[in-house]
Amino acid sequence: MAEYEAVIGLETHIQLNTHSKIFCSCKADSWEDPANTNICPVCTGLPGVLPVLNERVVEKAILLAEAMHAQVQPISYFDRKNYFYPDLPKGYQISQFDQPIAVGGQIDLPIPETADPDGKGYVRSVRIHKLHIEEDAGKTKNARNQRLVDFNRCGVPLVEMVTEPDLRTADEAAQYLIRLRQLLRWLGISEADMEKGNLRCDGNVSIRLKGSNVLNQKTEIKNVNSIDSLRDAIRKEIDRQIREVEKGNEIHPWTLDWDEDTGELRKMRSKETEADYRYFREPDLLPLRVSSDWKKEILKDFPERPLDRRQRFADQYDLPMYDADILTLERGLADYFEETVTAYKGDPKKVSNWLMNDVLRMINDDHLEPLEMRLTPVFLSEILQLVDSATINITTGKNLLEIVQDTGKAPAQIVDEQELAQVTDDVQIREMCLKIIAANPEEADDFRGGKESLIGWFVGQVMRESRGKADAKMAKDVLFELLKK
Amino acid sequence: MQLCDLSAVEIRDKILSKKTSAVEVLESCLERINQVDGCPGSIDSRPETKEDAEKVHAFITLTEDSAREQAQSVDKMIADGDDPGPLAGIPATIKDVFCVKGTPSTIGSRILANFISPYTATPVERMRLAGAVLLGKVNLDEFTYGSSTESSAFQPSTRNPWDTSRVPGGSSGGSTASVAAGEAPLSLGTDTAGSIRQPAAFCGVVGLKPTYGRVSRYGLIAFGSSLDCPGPMARNAKDTALLLRTIAGPDKRDATGANLPVPDYLALLEKEIKGKRIGLSPDYFQITFPNLETSEYIQQPVPAEIMDATMKAAEIYRQLGAEIIEDVPMPNTRYGIPVYFVISRVEAASNLHRFDGVKYGHRTENEISDLRSLYRRSRGEGFGLQPKLRILMGMYVSAAQYSEQYYRRALQARTLIRRDFEQAFDPNGKYKLDALLTPTTPTTAFPMKDVYGDSVIMQYADQLTVPANHAGVPGISFPGGLDSNGLPIGVQLLGPDFSEGLLLQLTHAYEKATEDANWRLERPAVLREA
Repeated sequence: MAEYEAVIGLETHIQLNTHSKIFCSCKADSWEDPANTNICPVCTGLPGVLPVLNERVVEKAILLAEAMHAQVQPISYFDRKNYFYPDLPKGYQISQFDQPIAVGGQIDLPIPETADPDGKGYVRSVRIHKLHIEEDAGKTKNARNQRLVDFNRCGVPLVEMVTEPDLRTADEAAQYLIRLRQLLRWLGISEADMEKGNLRCDGNVSIRLKGSNVLNQKTEIKNVNSIDSLRDAIRKEIDRQIREVEKGNEIHPWTLDWDEDTGELRKMRSKETEADYRYFREPDLLPLRVSSDWKKEILKDFPERPLDRRQRFADQYDLPMYDADILTLERGLADYFEETVTAYKGDPKKVSNWLMNDVLRMINDDHLEPLEMRLTPVFLSEILQLVDSATINITTGKNLLEIVQDTGKAPAQIVDEQELAQVTDDVQIREMCLKIIAANPEEADDFRGGKESLIGWFVGQVMRESRGKADAKMAKDVLFELLKK
Repeated sequence: MQLCDLSAVEIRDKILSKKTSAVEVLESCLERINQVDGCPGSIDSRPETKEDAEKVHAFITLTEDSAREQAQSVDKMIADGDDPGPLAGIPATIKDVFCVKGTPSTIGSRILANFISPYTATPVERMRLAGAVLLGKVNLDEFTYGSSTESSAFQPSTRNPWDTSRVPGGSSGGSTASVAAGEAPLSLGTDTAGSIRQPAAFCGVVGLKPTYGRVSRYGLIAFGSSLDCPGPMARNAKDTALLLRTIAGPDKRDATGANLPVPDYLALLEKEIKGKRIGLSPDYFQITFPNLETSEYIQQPVPAEIMDATMKAAEIYRQLGAEIIEDVPMPNTRYGIPVYFVISRVEAASNLHRFDGVKYGHRTENEISDLRSLYRRSRGEGFGLQPKLRILMGMYVSAAQYSEQYYRRALQARTLIRRDFEQAFDPNGKYKLDALLTPTTPTTAFPMKDVYGDSVIMQYADQLTVPANHAGVPGISFPGGLDSNGLPIGVQLLGPDFSEGLLLQLTHAYEKATEDANWRLERPAVLREA
């Protein structure tokens, strides 16, 4: 069999998390709200109403454009996309067509070892074709003999972002969505939850012989509502196309609907004739002008991008890429890490270990915002310092994490109040060791008879006696000395 | 002279000085309506009676009860020493293109005959807040698509108060007829190609199309969104200025509105016009229209009586100290109608998409098998001939394979029309005009049914008014005499962006200069008999 490669482009619809809709002041997020409760004359397209652009939408779109290294156009236009459907109350969608808000752009996707057939991992560069702003439509559903319409979603702001056909595997497509979702949350411009529909993705898939440059007939995959489904759907479609071509059949430009329940693609409609949307400039809105001052204002607190930060963490703090990846999954966690490192001044890898092993578990278990924890980066760095200076031992240090988070008190204060400081006084430890040996003559004899592994048991007894505060290493040394006499 | 025949300013001043009350004024208007209006337009067809042929039929919906409440509230405010606003107690009619909360907002179409708007259009809201007493909704061409008001689904359609065998013009025919017949001193209308100015000319009243964006379009059921302008109609310049002042100004609900302060148009009226430069253009003294059989374009001069009225107005301005500049070229005027055919219909077809029988308005009662047939039947039954023609044409010229050839070219020609005005009004240009003086229409009011049915020729009634809509500039039509049939002749002034103040000032100066003219003593036929 010939060797094929897939050519994949993705079209994502990103629901921006603005407070109000794109052209009216209705609440944008209607998740779990009853049907037709966040609507007004404007978003239901009553006769005579006019759209007024919500500038927050433009700001969020520009943040995304910047993050994708796209060029924001100083002037762009809104157009009407005309078609009839009951969920589209005006009979046209206000969108952008030939002059969108931003064009071009690129993201370099790190493809992990697990998604690389060679097991090494690599980088896939994906070019962005364009980003445009548009309004969402409503929803229809069937109820017995009736078709019902819910207009809540009408006018919810969307950015449609289209890639060039630069992806080559289903795993790469999944990575694109994973990194996009991370980025959207990082920028705080979308909840990016595919299950809730605030990140939607259509895939265009074709195949060709490996090494070829042609673009063959593609099919379009719609209605995938998770990253895993996208990966599955694309895999299945690539396999299907290869089978068809091997059989000598032609690929038709179908639109394929992903059925989540059966895990199958179904033909929705053949796209032999393109619909004519009769695009023309929306006369109810002025051209969208983005002055350099406005753009500067929007981008003035633009954050370091997650993938850049990941690389910097690896370079600057000498962390394994695995650590850097996890620490930059969310912006709050990355900030938490860096603030702790700054306050601590010790080995960043140690901070990373504590974060990934212990603090992250607390964050995940209780759904905490890292920077809003009572266990602040400063307190965490203090605990690390207490451990480093042997004021407390590691066990006490780890216990302190929860106590600080529960009480909000400074670690040093807790150590004082609860007398958690490590006992490092030779006299005190010697007394405790003598006491334990005296109380356990049989075990002492066994030890002396050659069963030296009992030393661990003796250390344990001393730790218990000291309520965990004894310097375990010192206790061990003293016990050896006393038992060997 | 009844109370209802007074000007808006006179009525307001009498009410404020307690010489009369808002309720008395309202009763006078209602009595006049009762006398001359006849039955309101209705979608339930019935044979036309002899009496119908002698009445005005301006109204679709008379809101007598709410008008009485508004008038009482104005009177109460005055009694309490409060200020009811600049339109205190002035009765007004509203073209049924505007949505008004709680009233049928029909746009003269069967498809919205049952639509009660849940919100109020911005200009109407401003009138109400200013103390106006809203008498109701007046007739218009269906969706404003016409120049005679005959295409309304609500019949009988409005007739011209000067001669009820003739049309009042359109599409704001109900508005101008109601003002001419003394049913109300003020009316609010819209102008997309001349729909305020042309019926104003036919009915012998003043009508002003403001600069695009001067008055909010929020709540106006859209026709050609890039051309539509709400504007005032009244019996003189002063009343027109008063209403414009009330409705103009930025509106956060209209993104295409101008963010400019509104001048006190009334205060500008008495300013000197000495030294103003008023232009005349040969391109406005002829009309061009197609011979539908040969497809050739025929050029014809504007009728002599109409030319004379315009030249007389020029002479009056010259005597008042203005400079008359002749032979100003406006070469792209003749493209106005063809360009309008394309642009307005592309926008109209799209604007009509929302009327689908799903959410509001007419829905077919016939059996339907699927969604498509719901659309087809509801729209097929709900829309009259004009919307259907305009949808067909709009869909055709915006189709992917034709849009370059028609729509794009029309947009380019529109830019050329705008350039004609920019050059004429350029303060550093050759002509440096303050205003251009033209006839408003190529004819006076034509007989009912004479042109109706010929959609192309009907459209050419707007030839001299439509360029201002393409260019976005303001225009005013005012009465400039009567023709040999005793029908009003309209004279038009066009000015640069936001020159409404000057246009009103020039109109006011003309009114003062002609106040003793014989033709000013003539009254519309429906009032003579009364």
